[in-house]
Amino acid sequence: MERRRFIAFALTPSLIVLFAVAVLPAIYLIVTSLTPFQLTTPGSATDFSEPLRNYRLLPGDPRFVNSLAVQAKLSVASVLFQVLLGMLLALLLNVPSRFVEFARTFFLIPMVLPPIVVAVIWKLIYAPDISPLYYAAQALHVTLPALTSSVDFALTSIVIADTWEWTPFTFLMVLAALQTIPDEYSEAALVDGANKLQIFWYVTLPFITPILVISGMFRLIDSVKAFPLIFLLTGGGPGTVTEVTNYYAYLLAFDTNEIGYSSAVTVVMLLLVCGISLGLVWMGRRKEALA
Amino acid sequence: MTNASRASSITRRKLLKASAAGAALAVFPAPLIAQTKPFAGVTLHGASFQHRFFTLLAKYIPEFEDKTGMKVDLQLSALPVYNQQANLELSSGGSAYDFVNVTFTLATRWIAAGLLANLDEFTGDANLTPAEWNPKDFVDGAQVPYRDAKGATYGYSWEGGAMLMGLSRMDLMEKKGLKIPKTFAELQQVCAEINGTDGVSGLVSWFLHNWNLPPYIQGFGGNIFKNPPGDVMPALNTPEAIQGVEFYAKLLKSAPTGVLTYTEDQARQAMLTGRANIFIHSSAWVTPILLSDESKVKETSRVVRSPAGPVHDYPASNSQGLGIPKNAKNQKAAWEFIKWALSPEISMKLVREHGHSSICRRSIITSDDYRKLNTVNGQDLGALYLEVLEQPGKGENYMAYRTSKEFPIVGDVLNKAFEQVATGQLPAKDAMNAAQDQAIAALRRAGTKL
Repeated sequence: MERRRFIAFALTPSLIVLFAVAVLPAIYLIVTSLTPFQLTTPGSATDFSEPLRNYRLLPGDPRFVNSLAVQAKLSVASVLFQVLLGMLLALLLNVPSRFVEFARTFFLIPMVLPPIVVAVIWKLIYAPDISPLYYAAQALHVTLPALTSSVDFALTSIVIADTWEWTPFTFLMVLAALQTIPDEYSEAALVDGANKLQIFWYVTLPFITPILVISGMFRLIDSVKAFPLIFLLTGGGPGTVTEVTNYYAYLLAFDTNEIGYSSAVTVVMLLLVCGISLGLVWMGRRKEALA
Repeated sequence: MTNASRASSITRRKLLKASAAGAALAVFPAPLIAQTKPFAGVTLHGASFQHRFFTLLAKYIPEFEDKTGMKVDLQLSALPVYNQQANLELSSGGSAYDFVNVTFTLATRWIAAGLLANLDEFTGDANLTPAEWNPKDFVDGAQVPYRDAKGATYGYSWEGGAMLMGLSRMDLMEKKGLKIPKTFAELQQVCAEINGTDGVSGLVSWFLHNWNLPPYIQGFGGNIFKNPPGDVMPALNTPEAIQGVEFYAKLLKSAPTGVLTYTEDQARQAMLTGRANIFIHSSAWVTPILLSDESKVKETSRVVRSPAGPVHDYPASNSQGLGIPKNAKNQKAAWEFIKWALSPEISMKLVREHGHSSICRRSIITSDDYRKLNTVNGQDLGALYLEVLEQPGKGENYMAYRTSKEFPIVGDVLNKAFEQVATGQLPAKDAMNAAQDQAIAALRRAGTKL
């Protein structure tokens, strides 16, 4: 009892802070989503006469539905590339060499850069009139389309930039996992006549699978936050080709002042992210139980 | 000097001082002396977005503070940040600001919602506003957004933007025997013929399509709303609007690759370096192509009226104003500041000492000093600027769509639809039909009765 009281006492300040900075704003967001709140309509912030109106309108809003589809495409593609590339890099650089150890740090640079810096770097790469990419293509007599304003390439250009930024995260995670695998397993497999591919498939992969799932889960949740890249590179365009849900919510709140409706969009996004997280945690536990 | 004589001289000095004080009191009664610094102790809080005007004005604010006794706390933020802050502050009935920038696009909604003080009460009082300040000296077209339906004024403009056409490569035009385009058709032809010559693009533009596109829609006889500000039913799928969208999308085929996502700076650089021939935009952006030291096309540039459409000749224009929130604590002090900041004296100083020409006082724009400073390659840019800025104030206020409170929503839909057309995702008719439906749905969702 004494111990319990101490723990409760020690945790109280943190819980108060957590409540104030995380729970209260979330509650306010939910409350706001139940109103037609518009900055220039006095009294709209406290108008609860039709609380579910915003939610009722969402399925019939083509831009909202499109934004979910764009978000799904962006998340799946970028997470897939990041996990695969991160794993490949980790396998290649999991070598006991001082030079390789030194080289590994370079791969981490994109991840530690502020997101807006990453967005500016890619803006420069994708800007046809000043980009070294375009100069190189010109030298090779290749005509590149405008990547960020082309319907076919705009989303891909965001995926490439996001992959460049976050592959180091999965690389780091997988590398750490690889270094915990005891050498005996692969040595035994070699003695049994297994080739490198078989060693990877039957020895290494089972070891790193949980880390791949966790990295993928983190990146999936984080991919919803690809805001700076979209803001700076495409502005959600051309048309609505790269307009993901959080960018649409931003436009509603900050461009057209529809705070209430934007809150409803954000609440749906929050629920989706929570749903995906819980689903992945449940899958992980089920796998553990089966094992 | 003996001690006795020193004592005698001190006494005399004191006596002289006392006499002078007595005389002053007799000539200027005590209350009047106190009024020489009538706002002593007042701290005036104001807010706007960052703009060169305020950076220049800040140099003179100490003089104003010294004269009035008040302290000026001017908070400057990026435009979107400022608009959000001001929207929130004004709509919640706050009194944090004594004066604010009345952003052009927000003016109508702030005025309609009763968030600003009626400035006629200040200009109509001879004790508060001397006759020489002359509110009628402000260019009428620039003042239109800051008036309500009854004609009361809620803001005075500190900056004007008038859409003009800049041409950077007149040498190339002359070589090809091309004349400055005066109509949409000629513009299309000149852009197409120049495009690709010596690596130069026919024209350049930038990503805010809802600023660049409407003059073409209006040029063909269309509009964004049916009849703004009274009837704000979107009019995006009229044949004229579709024609305007098709025309502008075709025009951009003569622009550099990636123009759809170009920023203003990218467009300006393309012009400064002579990589693009035509830029149709606010005079504040186009004119520096001629005046800037970094310009490589100073000798071959021209700034002229933008081309006229087959139905209307409606170049876009805008202005930014200063106003006083309804709940401001220090309204008289705020008016004193606005009066000073927009006075003919300060306006002329900004023109003469800093070459800042986008002001809205007619007497200054038409003055000899202004004309001398703004005549480049034989062109009177001030006259052009004034002509365009005045236009919405004469006859039909064709810029009313831009200040309607419904415009941000419809403008956003228009941007998306135009990009769909320009990138070939949809034919203009389909894109604009869809845009019309979306705009109506979004306006209804926002509570607009159509």
